[in-house]
Amino acid sequence: MVHDSRVQEQGAHSLRGWLAVALLLATATLCGALLDPFVTLTSQAMLYVLVVVIAAYRLDWVQSALCAVGAVTALNFFFVPPRWTFDVESQEHFIALVVMLVVALVISHLAASLRRESRHAALNEQRARQLQALASSLAFASAPQEIVALGQHALDAAFDGPNSLLLKNETDSSLSDVDLPDGVRDGLRCCMVECAVLGPGTGRWPGLNAWYLPLGDKGHVLGAARVWPALAEDSDGREHAQALCSLLAQTLWRARLAASMHAAQIEAQRQQLQSTFLAAVSHDLRTPLAAIVGAASSLQTQREKLSPSEQDRLLGSIASEASYLSTVTENTLQLVRLTSLQKELKRDWESLEEIVGAVLARVRQRDTARRIKSRVPPGLPLLKADPVMLAQLIGNLLDNALKYSEGEIDLIVNAFPQALVISVKDRGPGIAPAEQDLIFEPYRRSDQSGQRGAGLGLALCRAIAIAHGGSLTVRRRGGGGSCFIATLPLQEPQPERELA
Amino acid sequence: MSLQVMVVEDDREIRSLLQSSLSVEGFAVQTAVSLSEAYALLKHKPPDLIVLDLGLPDGDGLQLVRELRKQHSTPVIVVSARHQEAQKIELLDAGADDYLTKPFSVDELLARMRVALRHRGTSLAAAVTTHNLEDLRVDLAAHLVERDGEALHLTPTEFKLLARLVRSAGRVVTHRQMLADVWGPEFTEHTHYLRLYMAQLRAKIERDPTEPRRLLTETGVGYRLADA
Repeated sequence: MVHDSRVQEQGAHSLRGWLAVALLLATATLCGALLDPFVTLTSQAMLYVLVVVIAAYRLDWVQSALCAVGAVTALNFFFVPPRWTFDVESQEHFIALVVMLVVALVISHLAASLRRESRHAALNEQRARQLQALASSLAFASAPQEIVALGQHALDAAFDGPNSLLLKNETDSSLSDVDLPDGVRDGLRCCMVECAVLGPGTGRWPGLNAWYLPLGDKGHVLGAARVWPALAEDSDGREHAQALCSLLAQTLWRARLAASMHAAQIEAQRQQLQSTFLAAVSHDLRTPLAAIVGAASSLQTQREKLSPSEQDRLLGSIASEASYLSTVTENTLQLVRLTSLQKELKRDWESLEEIVGAVLARVRQRDTARRIKSRVPPGLPLLKADPVMLAQLIGNLLDNALKYSEGEIDLIVNAFPQALVISVKDRGPGIAPAEQDLIFEPYRRSDQSGQRGAGLGLALCRAIAIAHGGSLTVRRRGGGGSCFIATLPLQEPQPERELA
Repeated sequence: MSLQVMVVEDDREIRSLLQSSLSVEGFAVQTAVSLSEAYALLKHKPPDLIVLDLGLPDGDGLQLVRELRKQHSTPVIVVSARHQEAQKIELLDAGADDYLTKPFSVDELLARMRVALRHRGTSLAAAVTTHNLEDLRVDLAAHLVERDGEALHLTPTEFKLLARLVRSAGRVVTHRQMLADVWGPEFTEHTHYLRLYMAQLRAKIERDPTEPRRLLTETGVGYRLADA
């Protein structure tokens, strides 16, 4: 189809060319005749040279040569004495005619090669642009189908076609199931096996009428393409097809790597979560459950033998173990939610003063001796944070401090230009430097003392701090004890503080 | 005649626990295991108070609260698990009176029920306009706030905030409700206003603003003015 129209176009083009030749010669003759009384033969000859140059520049070489011959003939016929004959009077006129013919042919030749070169340059530029456009549109593509569609589109834009672009099936390395003539299918398969370009000008299977190009390098062939028309001497076209194919292959390969890396990450995360859950059940849920069942069954069967105070102690133990169980469950669930990627923080502008106040109101129920001393400066900047998470972070740190230490506990908030820093300081046994990173791992609790901690508590605290773009660290205090430091970055810009 | 309480809860253990502990306190308890059963009971005769569990087998409590609020001011206390936060806030905004997070103690439930019932009584009579707790005295009609017998100067916005909490003393008021009532419905997303003004209010009303005893924060939900 494309070719038919091109042939027609060429026909029209040459017809127009011949008309132009006739018109140019007629114009020159007319001008020469009009100027005849005032000028010499030399100027009339120059008029003919002018139209020959114009024809040579604009038209193809056959037309320009014929234009030159026509010009010489017309000059001879109309103006060279003896006029109205084809005879040439003197040798000088004969030489002028020959020179004019040579000039016409030389200019025509030069103009033609210039035209060819500029067409060539335009084509190369267009191809470079196409490569660039394809590269930038591929940068956003990740699905193989999407990449193939973009590639097919690029091939169709660069070559008349029909072009084909197929991916190899990952499992049986056959081609994706599309209706193709057997010859095409064989060509594609063969170029994938040989991992080389086949077709005219490549030295491999030169008898084919199209180029067959593999997508990818040896060992990593992801598919193949067929490009038509293919001419042996069109090495630029072949190189362009190869450039397109290698760009597509790189993108496909990148997409495949990204997909397998994502899958591996998800799998690793899934296994991590599973082991976290298992550890939660075995470490932290079984013991309090045993205590609850023990106390409850004792009350059930031995109530008459127990003194009222012993009964109260058992009831108290059931209530406190159950609340411990609920904390552990909450921490476990929250950690799983936070680390399983799907959980999005519910962020809003929050006041740390408020959150600390709410946490203290809850923790004070267990801190009847008021060991926690809090220091929160007024006028703190607001944090864009998930308040429930932050409350859990602070609450866990305070619960731990209450559990592992006897003396006073300091809760201090400091404001810096870039961040708010929450410190929880206790006078407990402290944490050995070697253990300082392990305590933030789920279930790597250091103590073997038989005392239970919220095994996931610190792991969750760190996960919460990290989810907010911050960090949680621990250091030994001079004079004994630990200091947990949570750093939460401030967001810019702060909401405006103008108040009525 | 004893007060009627309807417990909507699908877990058998918790349902029977609530039934027995509320009966002991002198309430007449009806139970429903699903929303459809609750609807049927409501049609017959609305109770004096509803304890509504989230996550029922046959649907969303939101519909029930909306339906109920068209005709009745029956107090509704929502019982939720941690992961149902968003749903709980939605219910509170739709007109539920208060909430409890599982696990909760019977004490807490009874305290919340007392507050909810007291409000129902007063909302039928006159709106709450005064609040007295320990050293704090608020009289909305007289535009008066006193601590230890000394008048406090509140800005108009601070006063409006406090007034909103006084009218619901003892009950949680969600962020959304406070923003809508004090600044207007188009400001319901401007939580930072609340944070800043509440900090000012705490600084004026609380002895130790970092450990408030009156203006209590319900983290992620709203505020509650402590009630006797």
